[in-house]
Amino acid sequence: MSMPATAWWTPVALSADVPPRMVIPATLPVGPIAVWRSQSGQVTANHDRCPHRGMRLSHGFVRGEKLSCIYHGWSFGKEGGCTAIPAHPKVTPPASIHCGVMPTVEQDGLIWVASAQPDTAPPVFDQYQPLRMLNFCACIDRIKTVCDASSRDPATDTYVTATLAGFVTRLIVTPLNETETNVFILVSPDLSTDQKIAISRAAEVLRNLCERPSPEGQQT
Amino acid sequence: MKLYDYVLSPSCYKVRLLAALTDTTLTLRPVDFHPGKEHQSPELLTLNPAGSIPILEDGLLVLTESSAILTFIAAQNAPQWLGQDTPQMAAYVQQWLSFSHRLTTTLGSARLIEMLHGHGDLAALQHQGIAALRELEAALVQQHMKGATYLAADRMTIADIACFPYAALAPDGSVSLDPYPKIRLWMRAIRAQPGFIEMPGIHRLHELSNDPLETTNQ
Repeated sequence: MSMPATAWWTPVALSADVPPRMVIPATLPVGPIAVWRSQSGQVTANHDRCPHRGMRLSHGFVRGEKLSCIYHGWSFGKEGGCTAIPAHPKVTPPASIHCGVMPTVEQDGLIWVASAQPDTAPPVFDQYQPLRMLNFCACIDRIKTVCDASSRDPATDTYVTATLAGFVTRLIVTPLNETETNVFILVSPDLSTDQKIAISRAAEVLRNLCERPSPEGQQT
Repeated sequence: MKLYDYVLSPSCYKVRLLAALTDTTLTLRPVDFHPGKEHQSPELLTLNPAGSIPILEDGLLVLTESSAILTFIAAQNAPQWLGQDTPQMAAYVQQWLSFSHRLTTTLGSARLIEMLHGHGDLAALQHQGIAALRELEAALVQQHMKGATYLAADRMTIADIACFPYAALAPDGSVSLDPYPKIRLWMRAIRAQPGFIEMPGIHRLHELSNDPLETTNQ
């Protein structure tokens, strides 16, 4: 089975898909999170819920080194503490107003988040770089079956090997729930643009295959 | 130019947005689409037998399809927005103008059901809308690999204007945009354009304006 959800790294986005001053929604096993990159480039992950009125912080905006809620503009720093309440400009927000921050690592073009500090670092994928992320409406076992489960690395259980457009790729498969899985496609860094496009298209076809009902019926 | 307009209509917003980005002056004539169904009144049916909006009236010219209206405004005021540098670019623009109708009939119809008491098979429309969003995402992934941010070129064209609003408002039809990182970057690039205007559900990028609190405290 997969690692304990509370202490393992989940890939949430390609670094390139979160440029400075941007916040995006993502999903951890414990629930939705807001992942944002400050103007200076630092990545932070918060619970996707403003402590004020519960609005998703991923709908918000990043100014400088702060994430602000779209609803009433409450701002949060990289430590999660509320730094400003626009309706009360002279008030220094008490430390109790806080939005949970989760451990985050950016490594080899991927952003990894964990809901608690894991004992080890996220896995390293030598000789591979992320190409794109796709959302599959298929469970992880179905994807492994379609990609040929025998090629899965038994030592780490962190990725599936798939041949796409004739190239060996690695897929990091992250279940979002019973039926949805995020798939990060890692490829050799030496590929041409045309080869990357071919792999991207083959990945769409792989998704279609995975989303078809399996011949033996649904196995979950 | 007179635009028969409805503030909640993504198709009308396409016209207002292109006009704003190209310094085109429009005279807006608000239409009580909901709940008044004014688009099906005798006055408007005289202009547009299809009973839809937007309608653009310019002298004797009457246009009733948003892609045609975008083409007219761009050709008149900002020809670079037509994206006709190369045969390939021109074809891509046409491809995406056609594709935009699929966004309208899928995501747009789901939105009408969810927001304005429209009728139809919501689950099927959402499913088709997701298929369209996946195509959009895949195309933008390819564009990024080629170093371009937009659909038909490395600059905005009417193709982007045509596809942007219904994609951006997918959540109004209960279709999530969370799984599409390149659509998110594309929408952000559009919202960062100088002169960008909003519509309900599509707001400007607050990160591009100064923090009013910091301004006040100075």
